[in-house]
Amino acid sequence: MEKPSSGVRGAIEANTLAILDASEATKHTRDADDDRIAFLEAVRAASLLPENKSPPTFKMCEAIFKILRFGNSLELITTSCQLLNELDLEFPRVYMTNASESSMPHELVVLQEAWSPFVLGTDISDSERATAYDLTGGLIDPPGFHLLLQGLAEVSDFENFQAPDTKVLSNMLLFHYLVSVLEGDFVPRNQMYRESMIWSSVRESLLNTMLCSRKMNYKGLMKDCVTTLCGLGQYLAEYDNAVPYSGTSMVKQHEAIDTALATAFLHFGRITCAATLKLMVMVTELDSSKKNADMLGHTTRADGVRTPLAEIIQDELTYDKNILSPFLQAFKDSKWKLEIIVQFFWKYISKPSVRTRRSNVPAEDATFSGVLKCISNSSSAKSITKKIGAHAIHLLLAHGFQAFLLLSTKKMGEGLPDSKEQLAGGSVVETCKNLISVFNCLRKLDKQLEISSCAKEAIFVAATILSRRS
Amino acid sequence: MEMDGPLDFESEDPLLSSPVSLKKRKKIIGLDDLLTDHYKDKCKLVEKESKQAKKKKKYDSDDEDFGKEAVVSQVVDECQNKMNQLGGEEDTSIWGLNVFGEQKPPPPPALQSPELKNCYLLQTFLNNEVNSLVNLTVEKGEAFLEGLLVNGWLSTLVSVTNRVEKALAIWTFNLMLYSSREELITSACDFWRDIMLTTNEVNQQHLRIEWFPTYAQLGEALETYGYRFECSLKPGFVHNVSLDTSYGLLLGSGRGGPPQNIRAWIKFITVCCQTKMKKNIFTSSEVERLAEAILCLFLDRQFRGVTVLLCECLQSLVHYFTDKDWKACCDNIAKALVSRIPMDLNCSRAVECISGVDQRSKYLRSTVAYQILLIFFENEATNEEEVLRVLSSMTVKDKSCDLFKLYIYLVLTENWLVGSRMLDGKPLICEMWGLFLRKCSCQIASTDLRSYASKVRNKASYILQSSFEE
Repeated sequence: MEKPSSGVRGAIEANTLAILDASEATKHTRDADDDRIAFLEAVRAASLLPENKSPPTFKMCEAIFKILRFGNSLELITTSCQLLNELDLEFPRVYMTNASESSMPHELVVLQEAWSPFVLGTDISDSERATAYDLTGGLIDPPGFHLLLQGLAEVSDFENFQAPDTKVLSNMLLFHYLVSVLEGDFVPRNQMYRESMIWSSVRESLLNTMLCSRKMNYKGLMKDCVTTLCGLGQYLAEYDNAVPYSGTSMVKQHEAIDTALATAFLHFGRITCAATLKLMVMVTELDSSKKNADMLGHTTRADGVRTPLAEIIQDELTYDKNILSPFLQAFKDSKWKLEIIVQFFWKYISKPSVRTRRSNVPAEDATFSGVLKCISNSSSAKSITKKIGAHAIHLLLAHGFQAFLLLSTKKMGEGLPDSKEQLAGGSVVETCKNLISVFNCLRKLDKQLEISSCAKEAIFVAATILSRRS
Repeated sequence: MEMDGPLDFESEDPLLSSPVSLKKRKKIIGLDDLLTDHYKDKCKLVEKESKQAKKKKKYDSDDEDFGKEAVVSQVVDECQNKMNQLGGEEDTSIWGLNVFGEQKPPPPPALQSPELKNCYLLQTFLNNEVNSLVNLTVEKGEAFLEGLLVNGWLSTLVSVTNRVEKALAIWTFNLMLYSSREELITSACDFWRDIMLTTNEVNQQHLRIEWFPTYAQLGEALETYGYRFECSLKPGFVHNVSLDTSYGLLLGSGRGGPPQNIRAWIKFITVCCQTKMKKNIFTSSEVERLAEAILCLFLDRQFRGVTVLLCECLQSLVHYFTDKDWKACCDNIAKALVSRIPMDLNCSRAVECISGVDQRSKYLRSTVAYQILLIFFENEATNEEEVLRVLSSMTVKDKSCDLFKLYIYLVLTENWLVGSRMLDGKPLICEMWGLFLRKCSCQIASTDLRSYASKVRNKASYILQSSFEE
């Protein structure tokens, strides 16, 4: 808890908030908005520009956050969001000490009293929420976070795309900011966990607390992540500036939007996609740390049980094949993308291999190379084509191959030439060869096979790499 | 036991405002209170008038409902007009310039199509036996390359082959700046960012980029978008800002303005300044012109949503200079900028959009502010002392004193002096600055009805409170 602000900080608080006082609460006049901009500028000048920077007080942060949430002009929301991000960068709530020196053991520093846009600890009943809303100054609780994402998922519904207004843009920025707060809290904690194996450092993270909250519909949240990522990604991919006046219903609505909103929307759309992806990657990282802690016996019953995100994604992809392509396109994290693709294949491969006891298939070779080896066998290729469908196989193989390549070049860059073979399962050259032979095999099974364009690109890349390496 | 007092847990709740600081705040905002009271009184006056008007008419239209309604609506309209007159005075000025004019047709592509189709990457594959799977032909070459670019294969290929062919470099550069498809623009921009900001040390040493854009090409692109280098933005060109009926959406000029490629252009400039791949892409004078252009973009309301991109870009540009050149170049930027922009609210916007987070940025902020002041006092002041002498000799009580100008002077002088160490060791300047502030905060009566009277008073007392208190 923060002490009543005193001294210089108290004076700054009183002075800056005085700028806002005249334009109290919900007034949205020119003057009131001018005052809000002046307030943001004053907070910036008081906390970020002096030589000895000091974080703004609780109330100041709250006021900035309120402007982001309830501001109704583009200028207000972008300025407040930028300020909040700058403040977080300058005054992190959680960080590790002497991160640069490797000789000393790192320590996690958590500023408990720092302001946060989340209210997590207490579960507020619905009837109390209305009153709590005023009390908490618009802070976000777990259902509120979900509601926010749900709104974005609806907006990004590809079929009935809504023309963006300032409210949508403000929600996009808000979501982006909240995810970056979760990230700033989770990443150092998770890094600490990897070094020390002390589970509590992760258990107490905002992300884990929020997901474990009784009020949180975790699965729904994750499904909305998938919807937002696919919908928004697809919309941005197909946006064409040259045809705003053409007949399609989706583009028609854009006529009404002015350039400022359109420019902002395209930029914020990308930010939102990136934030959604970041959230999903963090959840999978959390899943993997939790699994680790489970195995070491560090978790208790209080930690509860959650379906790992990777499994939820598997189910979603199985349930709705239409999202396979936009999902793989938008989910840009190579490590987890490869993991999800390999798991997806093994769901269909491993079972028959148990039944028929094929001797040449190792029981569990859960790597991308393992998958390729398995499919290049004509009978299993046949059965898997029947189950997943030719188009889906092409997509999965192409994206899996790309993720594999990116991972191995990244590892090469980090100077780990040896470890890459074990981690990704197989060398680059070998994998390229296997990929091509898989497609040759698929072609043999079906002479009429139309190879999809993304698979053609993967084959092209594999062949090019082989020709340069030999 | 005292029941009315707060329970002890309540006093710990940071969300409940502590009475101590509240009281303090009230004391300082006394002036604002007076102002709001003043406006309230005005409102009452108008209401009273309308009531009287109603009474007068009451006798003739007692029976007819229609007549009554008409009278009431007429009165309401009158009141509305009066209210608008009272409050509307300050709505007249708002920052915003028309930085972009008519778009021009893009320059003839520097690359002929056959050149692209004959690029090494495609040619080597055509004879590969694997092509039986892909069926690539020379005709399909460009479409195929687009697929490779959009799906991110191109940067993967570069990191494997360590080479960016000339044909591909030119082709992607043109897509980034002139394509209308969002997907191609962002993919091409990401491609250049990936290769130029690679952190992979091995790649950095061996990567061959066979063609590199020059300043001329980048400047040409900006002119194609409608930007006018070295063209005055003073009245005559001033943006017509339409106030949307429901306040909050301050629209720009609707559709039109620069194409969406401008975002990629801004990002590309940022990357050019940050890359270690190629030294000296720009000369100092070229960077000066780019920085001036970015500052002008800040003044265009169409960029309200992407100020983050502009901030990053300006920051990178400012750090591109060598220490030796910096001060002289900074002066050049400031002088070139202030000679173009009109002397109104855009001045304060031009200063406040410079982030001021580090020494260089602070210095630029201060320099721009000072240069604008010199232009304002062209005939009266040529150095720092004279500027302040002019300021502190102003008679703010006088009805002829332009308070709008005074407000801008105040913002400019604050940015020029505070935070840039201008006041260190200069007691005379410090004293005159204090005198000017006290005049503004004390000599303008709270009953002063001129627009900007309250803004000047509040701003001056805020600066006094925050900078002289410590």
